[in-house]
Amino acid sequence: MATITIPTALRQYAAGNSSVSLDVETVGALLRGLVEQHPTLGRHLFSEQGKLRNFVNVYVGDEDIRYLEGEATPVSSGDTVSIIPAIAGGI
Amino acid sequence: MLKLSSDAAETIVRHAESTYPDECVGLLLGQIAGEAKIGLRALPLENRWAGQVSLAETDNAESRRDRFYLDPRDYLRADREARAAGMDIVGCYHSHPDYPATPSERDRVGAQGVGGGTSFAFVIQSVRDGQAAEVASWLLLDEGARFAQEELIIA
Repeated sequence: MATITIPTALRQYAAGNSSVSLDVETVGALLRGLVEQHPTLGRHLFSEQGKLRNFVNVYVGDEDIRYLEGEATPVSSGDTVSIIPAIAGGI
Repeated sequence: MLKLSSDAAETIVRHAESTYPDECVGLLLGQIAGEAKIGLRALPLENRWAGQVSLAETDNAESRRDRFYLDPRDYLRADREARAAGMDIVGCYHSHPDYPATPSERDRVGAQGVGGGTSFAFVIQSVRDGQAAEVASWLLLDEGARFAQEELIIA
C-alpha cells in the first residue's frame, strides 16, 4: 500500500481524512483512486483538461513528480506521496 | 475564527519587520477545532519569489517587495514537522509592506492551490515604514472566488 497525504484545506473534500492508502503501482493510479473515493476532490486537483492544476504539486518522498515520470512515476508499498500547494501573492 | 498564540503573532511581527521592504511568508502550525483554527506556532519561511507562477501582467521576477512565493518544498518540510508534532498546517501568513492588511487580486490568484474554506487562514501583516501595523486573517470562500475577513484573536 502506498499512502497519499492530503493538505489541510482539501480534507473537507476527502471526508476529513489526512491521508489515504491504496494498493497501486503508479502516482497516477493513486491520484485517480483517491478521486474515485472522494469525487469532489477531483476538480481541486485537476483542470478541466485533466492535468494537475497550476498551484497543485505532487511529491514522491522529496521529489516533485514533474521532474520524475509525472503520473507514470512508480510507487512501492510503503511510499508516501504528498499533495502540496504552492502559495503565492503580492500587493 | 483564528486564535493565534501571542508567540506566533510576535514571530510574524518580527519576521515582517526584518524582511521590510520585501514581503515575508510563513506557515501557521496548530490545531483545528470545528470551524476554529488554533495557531500555536508561526514558522517563518523564505520568500522564494522568482516569477515561478503567473499572477498578473505586472509580475517582476526580481521584485520581492510586491510578490511572495511559498515554495512547495518548504510546505512539505513544514507539513512533516507539523504531523510529527501532532499538529496541522492551519494557515499561512505574508506581509504587506506599506499596504493595508487586505488581500489583493494577486493573493487570490496565488491561493488557488490551497482549497479554501474555514480550515485554512490567510493572515496578512501590514508593515508601514518598517514598523508592524495592523494584522488580519482571511478565508478563501466561494470556490476561490473571494476572500472574507474572519475573527482573529491573539492570546
